Amino acid sequence: MTTVQERIDLLNKLGLDAQNKAALGQVLGTGDIGQATEKADGGLKATIRIRPDKISWDPSILVMPHGGDIELELINDDMNTHCALLPSNGDRKFIWLVNHSRGRATLNLDGPGYYWYSSPTGNDEGRGLTGAIVVLGDVPPEARLDRPDQPRP
Amino acid sequence: MTVEYVDAGEAIDQGTLSGKVAGGDVAPAVVHGVNHERILNAQAEPQNWLTYYGAYNGQRYSPLDQINTDNVKRIGPAWVFQAGMTGLIAGASTYSFEAAPIVVDGVMFLSGWDGWVWALDAKTGTEIWRYKHAVPFDVSLCCGNVNRGVAVAAGKVYVVTANAHVLALDATTGERVWDKTYGDVRAGESATVAPLVVKDKIIVGSSGGEFGVRGHLDAFDLETGEHQWRCYTVPKPGEPGSETWPADGEAWARGGANCWVTGTFDPETNLLYVGTGNPAPDFDGGVREGDNLYTDSIIAVDVDTGQIRWHYQCTPHDVWDYDSIGECILFESDGRKLLGHFDKNGYFFVVDRTDGALVQITPFVDRIDWGAITRDGTVTPRRYPDKEGDPVHFWPGPAGAKEWTHAAYSPKTGLFYVPVQDVGATATRRRREFRESIPYWGAGVQVDLDDMAGSISAFDAKGDEQWRWRNELPMCASVLATGGDLVFAGEPSGEFNALDARTGELLWQFQCGSGHHSSPTTYLVDGRQYVAVPVGWGGWAEGFLPGMLGAGHGSALITFALPET
Repeated sequence: MTTVQERIDLLNKLGLDAQNKAALGQVLGTGDIGQATEKADGGLKATIRIRPDKISWDPSILVMPHGGDIELELINDDMNTHCALLPSNGDRKFIWLVNHSRGRATLNLDGPGYYWYSSPTGNDEGRGLTGAIVVLGDVPPEARLDRPDQPRP
Repeated sequence: MTVEYVDAGEAIDQGTLSGKVAGGDVAPAVVHGVNHERILNAQAEPQNWLTYYGAYNGQRYSPLDQINTDNVKRIGPAWVFQAGMTGLIAGASTYSFEAAPIVVDGVMFLSGWDGWVWALDAKTGTEIWRYKHAVPFDVSLCCGNVNRGVAVAAGKVYVVTANAHVLALDATTGERVWDKTYGDVRAGESATVAPLVVKDKIIVGSSGGEFGVRGHLDAFDLETGEHQWRCYTVPKPGEPGSETWPADGEAWARGGANCWVTGTFDPETNLLYVGTGNPAPDFDGGVREGDNLYTDSIIAVDVDTGQIRWHYQCTPHDVWDYDSIGECILFESDGRKLLGHFDKNGYFFVVDRTDGALVQITPFVDRIDWGAITRDGTVTPRRYPDKEGDPVHFWPGPAGAKEWTHAAYSPKTGLFYVPVQDVGATATRRRREFRESIPYWGAGVQVDLDDMAGSISAFDAKGDEQWRWRNELPMCASVLATGGDLVFAGEPSGEFNALDARTGELLWQFQCGSGHHSSPTTYLVDGRQYVAVPVGWGGWAEGFLPGMLGAGHGSALITFALPET
């Protein structure tokens, strides 16, 4: 059994969080975690990068404090070409990211829940370019059940 | 030295990368004229399939007869639409293509799994527009990544999403007009139902009966999405029916009774007829003594107010997972306004739809040993999980003698056609504490892997079986009856069949490449009749046919027609 801090060390020690160490790629969900920031108008924004030879998103788990619109800056610092297919209500958003490029995406997501996104090209998805966007919060009060508060796990 | 980044621009809609031609992504405004009156008279425009069951009566009957018993052997595929699946989606192993395609004046409106909605050219299959709702990967599915279809009216397409939203889309562009949340995903609620348009309202029900929620129907204004009413299907303490739940504790609050299949409507009674789901926990009745109204019931709901006017409970105090969500088919016989309902518990109920009085009851599957229901409606349970840790086998299993997939009724032949599943299961009671969002079955359950059978069985209004087309596997897809005296029925192993509606003789068959778990429909464009069937095996297969859990999933809509002359 490990503690939370030990998890980071153990991931590194075992090579689960890097390319071509323990497994062939970086195991999903082992990368960095970041939080979106809230703008003055209530909208959200965040930056997601692909660092050289990492073949993973940084952060690989992005947390939104609530549902709604988010503006993403997508930066490919890698020496290879990637892309992004991102969840959004209406249609998924696609952007091509050639070597050393920077683009933008505006997403609309419901909360709560989490969504996977990826670079759906070549070997990217399995190697580690599959990330998650986590949306916090609750559904609107009018959508909740009329019943006493119930125990949760 | 800093090197400037290449400007990658703004991310675009993925649908723009699908071969569309300029201007080809706008559908003609065929839905602008669709309203309650047209749906009420849907049978007057058989070229269209305007509402989930084809008409408010739930008969799943089309008078189209261009394809008939004489020529059906000549039909073949006219076009195929394939959506496929990409990326990581919720319940990727459980997605299934379950919709009933809606067709209005040459445009087809169709929902898929995981938040997909499409408008297609009904003559060619060409995609006009698509809408994709982002569905959380971790949403509690109950019980698969599925959706049973859309509704259309007032220039809009209405659909629910797995995370319990109801959406109105512009029928010409697919753009979202309004979006309302009507369920709590943190409580384990979700949505799979095909909405129903009645008057100025869109009616939807909730899913989540395996998670210990409190079922409800909701009505929203067609134009604005403003909430009109909510009808809970489990009463609070003090409300009518609450005496059928334990007086102490909160069993009622987790009681289930979800309305996860579309209701039917009679304009003369002004009532919606809706089947309700199982109580929760499914198999542990000891924590919810009593009949547990309005679980496993046919409820008649005033469409203007959302008030329950009468009910008929098919399985009081259910401990077998026998939802009564099966369709309520409205028909007339001997001058009476009746309602026919094939229940998961294996019995065919006919009730007077003005007051819910039982008219007759008949078993429609060979093996029923969970209990017996006599002609007067008296229910006697016999085999059920009772003692902790004691396995009990019973027929039908929890998927029922008929699953949610629909029977049909032909007013031309006067016969009901029902897809039958003859499969048993073993349940072992395992009591557990309730925890919000955690499955709440109260048992370990294993559905039989062998000794199973299926059929399309034809019954008259008196409940007498007139013919039976037998199959080695249970029949798990909706059937379609037509004026060509045909009954179309898909098999779990991929065959799509046309049977003679009067004899049950197999007249035509086509292997679609994946199992059927949807609701085929039929329509006419430019004088040519098409039969459309979504094909994509999946859903809660471990519940209704675990022997086919390893079968390939598909994602195609296939249409059939006679050769063009």
